[in-house]
Amino acid sequence: MQEFIDRLIANGAFAGMPVEVVYALMMLLFGLVVVFGFFLPIAGVTSWLERRVWARIQSRIGPNRVGPQGFLQWLADGIKLLLKEDIVPDAADRPLFLFAPYFVVWGIVATFVVIPFSSNLIIADMNVGILYLTAVTALVVVGVLMAGWASNNKWALIGGIRSAAQIISYEIPAGLALLPVVLLTGTLSTQGIIRAQGWAPWGWFAFHNPFTFVAAFMFYVAALAEGNRTPFDIPEAESELVAGFCTEYSGFRYLLFFMAEWGNLYVIGAVATTLFFGGWQVPLWTDSVVLLNISQFTVFFLKSYLWVLISMWVRATLPRVRVDQLMILCWKYLVPIGFVNLIGTAIWMVIWPHGNRVVQYGMVLLAVAVLVQFFRRVRFHLRRARPELYYSPAI
Amino acid sequence: MAKNGVARYFKNIKDAVTTIFEGMTVTCSHLVRKPYTIQYPDRVPVRVQDTLPFRYRGILEVDLEICTGCLACERACPIDCIVIDAPKDQKTKEMLLTRFDIDIAKCMYCGLCSEVCPTGSIHHTTEFEGADFSLESMIRHFVKAPVVAYKAKKDGETDPVVAPILERGMRYIQEFAEPADMKKVKAEGKAAAA
Amino acid sequence: MSLAGYEVEVQRDGGLTTEEMTLNMGPQHPSTHGVLRFIVKADGEVMRTAIPDIGYLHRSIEKISEKVGYHGFMPYTDRVDYVSAMQCNQGWGMVCERIAGIQVPRRGEFCRVIACELGRIASHLLAVGAMVQDIGAYTPFLHALREREKINDLLEELCGARLTFNYMRIGGVAWDLPAGYPEKVTTFLDKFDPFIDEYNDLISYNKLYVERLVNVGVVSKEEAINYNLVGPNLRACGFKYDVRRDEPYSIYAELEFDVPVGTGEMGTLGDCFDRYMVRIQEMSESGKIVRQCLNMMPPGPVLAKVARKLKPPVGDAYIRVEGARGDMGWYVVSDGSEFPYRTKIRTGSFAAMSIVDKVSRGLMIADLIALIASFDVVAPEVDR
Repeated sequence: MQEFIDRLIANGAFAGMPVEVVYALMMLLFGLVVVFGFFLPIAGVTSWLERRVWARIQSRIGPNRVGPQGFLQWLADGIKLLLKEDIVPDAADRPLFLFAPYFVVWGIVATFVVIPFSSNLIIADMNVGILYLTAVTALVVVGVLMAGWASNNKWALIGGIRSAAQIISYEIPAGLALLPVVLLTGTLSTQGIIRAQGWAPWGWFAFHNPFTFVAAFMFYVAALAEGNRTPFDIPEAESELVAGFCTEYSGFRYLLFFMAEWGNLYVIGAVATTLFFGGWQVPLWTDSVVLLNISQFTVFFLKSYLWVLISMWVRATLPRVRVDQLMILCWKYLVPIGFVNLIGTAIWMVIWPHGNRVVQYGMVLLAVAVLVQFFRRVRFHLRRARPELYYSPAI
Repeated sequence: MAKNGVARYFKNIKDAVTTIFEGMTVTCSHLVRKPYTIQYPDRVPVRVQDTLPFRYRGILEVDLEICTGCLACERACPIDCIVIDAPKDQKTKEMLLTRFDIDIAKCMYCGLCSEVCPTGSIHHTTEFEGADFSLESMIRHFVKAPVVAYKAKKDGETDPVVAPILERGMRYIQEFAEPADMKKVKAEGKAAAA
Repeated sequence: MSLAGYEVEVQRDGGLTTEEMTLNMGPQHPSTHGVLRFIVKADGEVMRTAIPDIGYLHRSIEKISEKVGYHGFMPYTDRVDYVSAMQCNQGWGMVCERIAGIQVPRRGEFCRVIACELGRIASHLLAVGAMVQDIGAYTPFLHALREREKINDLLEELCGARLTFNYMRIGGVAWDLPAGYPEKVTTFLDKFDPFIDEYNDLISYNKLYVERLVNVGVVSKEEAINYNLVGPNLRACGFKYDVRRDEPYSIYAELEFDVPVGTGEMGTLGDCFDRYMVRIQEMSESGKIVRQCLNMMPPGPVLAKVARKLKPPVGDAYIRVEGARGDMGWYVVSDGSEFPYRTKIRTGSFAAMSIVDKVSRGLMIADLIALIASFDVVAPEVDR
């Protein structure tokens, strides 16, 4: 983005203005575009899609009245929550209470700066991109703790403390899962990581060696835990703590928490795609830069959104883990496996500095075999239950 | 296998992966199944009230044309939601029905009143939409003007207006089981066995 | 209510003062099954005590029987345990028949058993579904409810209502099976057995779910007997006691069915997982019973002739039925008039509430939810 602005200035676009002011204005503009043009619609549509996907999994329909197939349900919910009374409990710590949702949203929205939408569409290609990502998502902890404490509600406090413990603990496996990729590419920049991968599955880092394969799933699990998604949604465990740390919130502040969660789903998908699944890589099918960028954007968006759909699917299937089991999972299972991955990748790089083609093809075949087995089991379940089938997603 | 130990550690991982895999296949298979939801009230092919079985215990209705004024339903009701006034007309010596109120908010839809009705005049319909804005509308007044109570005719009902109503009423109470004298049943059973 | 004897413990730990937290899992809570209240003293996540506070759903049903009489009380028995209403109907029917010396026709007994077992399946579906939802999986709950809806449809065809059936009367049942009913029930049961397998594949043996339930809330056999646990709660501790098998009533003595017991297959004998698994297995057994009944049904009347104003002789009677939540005791004292002198209903959930405090020491708050769900406590049964 910076080169783009520099080129515009060189062509005389912003006549006379000092460079810093141009940069500041452009930053504001891109921020607004990302937040209002991308983050909000994505968060909203994800909420609608989540409800529809869940509903089909649960043998029901989901919202299908407001707009075509209920597509405007999220708008209706958003407007309703906007118009609701903003209740602040009397004994709550007022400044902390009011400010907590913003920290949570900041933590998520600020990650969009380094998400590479295509080879030219990135707000700031920082050379510490991945490190910045992990650092900024930790802001969410501050917000959640503030929400839990300031609510002056013991249940909210429990939810907030659980969440803080959870997010902080799972930073470690998430970081450890990133490190093999950083080792392989030698750079922390997101664009650099994508450029080091190929467009075909065997060029992706997930299938580069068995250790990165495990690291990919480890990253996904750790990122789910950081995003407070089932099976790790203890902080907002509906059936235990009513709504956990956001129990006392109403109206738009409540919505902000959930928008952050749904937007975070997309960020998880985007980061997983960037690191492990090839990012926006497409074969060079055209000379036109615009078309190429559009195809790259589409590919990246579809790959990230696939992870969002998988998150919804996982949420519908799995039960919640208890807090101590969560900690055991993190410290006794994910962290040692993360270290094994790291060391394994390092050894792999020593033995095969340019990667091992055979192993890469083998890993892709393994993944395909797993998928085939998956669909064979799906067919088994359908055969056993013999239900009435209905393929169309539209009802 | 040891409770703790390396083998247990790897077994935990393997169990977790395989059972989660299996669970996800089940939920994935649900994505192509027909949802079970009935999109009431506007996207149903047939009105839901018309799909309910004949025995369905919905909101009560009284066919005053065949009500005999026996007050059996008022006595049978366990929650006292039926109020009937059936005085004897001084001049004609006939039983008049001047009031027949059913409070459908109090009614617990148990069916005891329709079971004891001799003609099936009080019966449950398949109607279940009774929500309204005022509490007074919860009391259904079935008597608009005083009517003469019905008297069953020995040779069957000939009045063309009343006959179908009586037929429906009798069909309703014939759904109920016929109480049998167990002594007689036992004796018949013994005779049949002998 | 007073909390005398349960004062908060203050510890001084090397200069750091810590206190226990007193939490109120109030009457309104998404996962206490009905209006139950627990006062939880917790040291962080670990509980010290969980005191149940009941009575939020007390409706004086036993007292109402003294006003409405024997016949009129039948609809009220539905509300004693509205999740498995058929067994409550049977309990009241049987105790009145015992005290008045009424015999139920054979076909009526078969109808009763079919209704009770279908009701048992429906109740267990709700129990395991709600348990799974409290643990956090949203989908299996809705699948279980879908099957329960199918049973509700079947029972709606039979007696006209979906929850408060009022199907049985003193002396038998009110309606005979409608035309085509055995085929419908058999169709449902054919689809139901694969459903249980699918349910087990989806969630019962899921590692995360199993880890939440094993070794949680272990109740030993002696404790269970001392605290009066009944039904699946008792059988999960390894004690094979089922009223249908050990004190058979109605026609259960002629039917062949197994009584599933807890085996401690995944953890300790008598933990939450055993209670869950016993319910799943009982559903299959109930399916078997219904199939047998449909095959064995004799023709004949289903209702005995009983006086409109039933005036039983002076005396009392106690009847046990195996409700979905265990052995339900129905006690009636008659003084010769058409209204009972005293009715007493003994329910399994009331006893289960009493053991919650003892078993929950040392558990985490999340485990308390799993524990209450596994005891299958429903508030109407506790408070009546």
